[in-house]
Amino acid sequence: MKTLVGFIAILLALAWGPAHAEKPAPRSDEVVSDISTREIAIKSNFAGIEILIFGSVDFSARAAPDKASYDVIVVIRAPGQELVARRKQRVAGIWVNGPGETFPAVPGFYAVLSTRPLRAITSEETLKSLGIGLSNLDFGRRVHDDPGEETFRSAVIDLKERQRLFQEQDDGVTFVGRSLFRASVDLPVNVPIGRYTAHVYLFRDGVLVSKNQSTIAVNKVGFERLVYLLAFRYPFIYGLIAVVVAVAAGLIGWVAFRRE
Amino acid sequence: MLQIYLPIAEISVNLLVMLGLGAAVGFLSGMFGVGGGFLLTPLLMFSGIAAPIAVASGANQIVATSVSGALAQWRRNNIDFRMGNVLIAGGVAGALVGVFLLKELREAGQAGLIISLTYVALLGGIGALMLGESVRAVRRARAGKPTGARRPGQHNWVHGLPLKMRFPRSRLYISTLPPLAIGAIVGLLTAFLGVGGGFVMVPAMIYLLRMPTNIVIGTSTFQIIFITALVTILHASFNHSLDVVLALILAAGGVMGGQFGVRAGQKLRGEQLRLLLALLVLAVATRLLLDLVLRPADLYNIAPLLAGA
Repeated sequence: MKTLVGFIAILLALAWGPAHAEKPAPRSDEVVSDISTREIAIKSNFAGIEILIFGSVDFSARAAPDKASYDVIVVIRAPGQELVARRKQRVAGIWVNGPGETFPAVPGFYAVLSTRPLRAITSEETLKSLGIGLSNLDFGRRVHDDPGEETFRSAVIDLKERQRLFQEQDDGVTFVGRSLFRASVDLPVNVPIGRYTAHVYLFRDGVLVSKNQSTIAVNKVGFERLVYLLAFRYPFIYGLIAVVVAVAAGLIGWVAFRRE
Repeated sequence: MLQIYLPIAEISVNLLVMLGLGAAVGFLSGMFGVGGGFLLTPLLMFSGIAAPIAVASGANQIVATSVSGALAQWRRNNIDFRMGNVLIAGGVAGALVGVFLLKELREAGQAGLIISLTYVALLGGIGALMLGESVRAVRRARAGKPTGARRPGQHNWVHGLPLKMRFPRSRLYISTLPPLAIGAIVGLLTAFLGVGGGFVMVPAMIYLLRMPTNIVIGTSTFQIIFITALVTILHASFNHSLDVVLALILAAGGVMGGQFGVRAGQKLRGEQLRLLLALLVLAVATRLLLDLVLRPADLYNIAPLLAGA
């Protein structure tokens, strides 16, 4: 409900905004966008969050809008992480992690939302050059003639898709009227922290005409942030505190339940 | 829906389920007089928490329960502090080795496997021994024969070893090597499995060192505090695998469950208790073994590379 109200408010702002803006008129169709939540706080009650990306296509450069077809692709991406993928194999009747493949930069989160299937919007080459789509993801290394690496690559994509950390939605972007569009993305509970980027691409008859970029900060806050920072920056002190807390808990338990 | 986000495990768990898990294990440990870590760590693993995090957080939880336990034992004058210190000295060595071994294994992607395998071997072995022993005891009780009592003052090979020390509280004059070795093995198990190790230490001290049973239990609880505390700090420092929120929830549940377990345990007979515990231990071992042997649903798995500690 809250997001809906925010959405309507921004829609109004967008509808009114351009008329009052004193910016010089853009030379071609331009896309502007914003995100419902720019700061995502991971607290103890965090169970995932839905964010809304919305925007509008500015036709003000065009005297009379033509019949061209417009498409929008939204790409949300978290910073890359070094990841190792392993395949289990049977050794003496037991399933054991076999040799693996290391990928230096796998996005911790990656979502592609579009008005239509990606390949219906534009050519494979354009998608590839922009790095749009799960199959065009750059994991920091790519050796095309190594079939083994390809298998591990698709396994990583498959696992991440099942964890909802990779998402591809053909109908994720919907136009509201002629120039306004919206897209919603579910960030699952296991999203990594970091500065995410949201790219919005506007295609006109399959040609990229405008793009727009913004960022989303995903951070642990409050107690969760404190625990996380302590655990990774001052691990010894963190361990010591954990022991002191446990000893205190044990003392409290002893006093509370002591049978005289 | 009381979901709570665990900051280090980075998953959201149900607060009531985790409290219940802590309470259930606390109940069992109160009932059977064992620490319960050997049940808690596998149960955490079954509920989707990564094995190294289950181990470190389990060890932290045991600090809390063993402090309560040791205080109660100390009031009854059941702790042999000199023996405890020897056990701790051995335990520190074992724990150091265990933590670094686990770190190496985690980097090689084999930590989960080795933890599971060790559990299967240990729980399978101990469960089978307990089952055999308690079935015999139940039969003997049915036949009306007296249960075989231990004769004190018996000597075995342990008493021929050098470096002897006097332990007045236990009324023993024995070599320090066996307690050091027992301590080291228990320290290794604590670091590796997130258990207190009482289920290994108690029989070893009773049958090998011939210590009086009441002092064995008090002394092992005393030793467990220090080794689990050390393991907690070491895992936090070198493996970043300690989730203090998880540990606290489990400890809260465990303290509550333990109280009811003690009362329930007093209503059941010793042989029946041991039989139940043996079946429980075997059930956990079987489940872990099945996970290793059955073809996994996912052949592939991914893990982040550990950032250099």
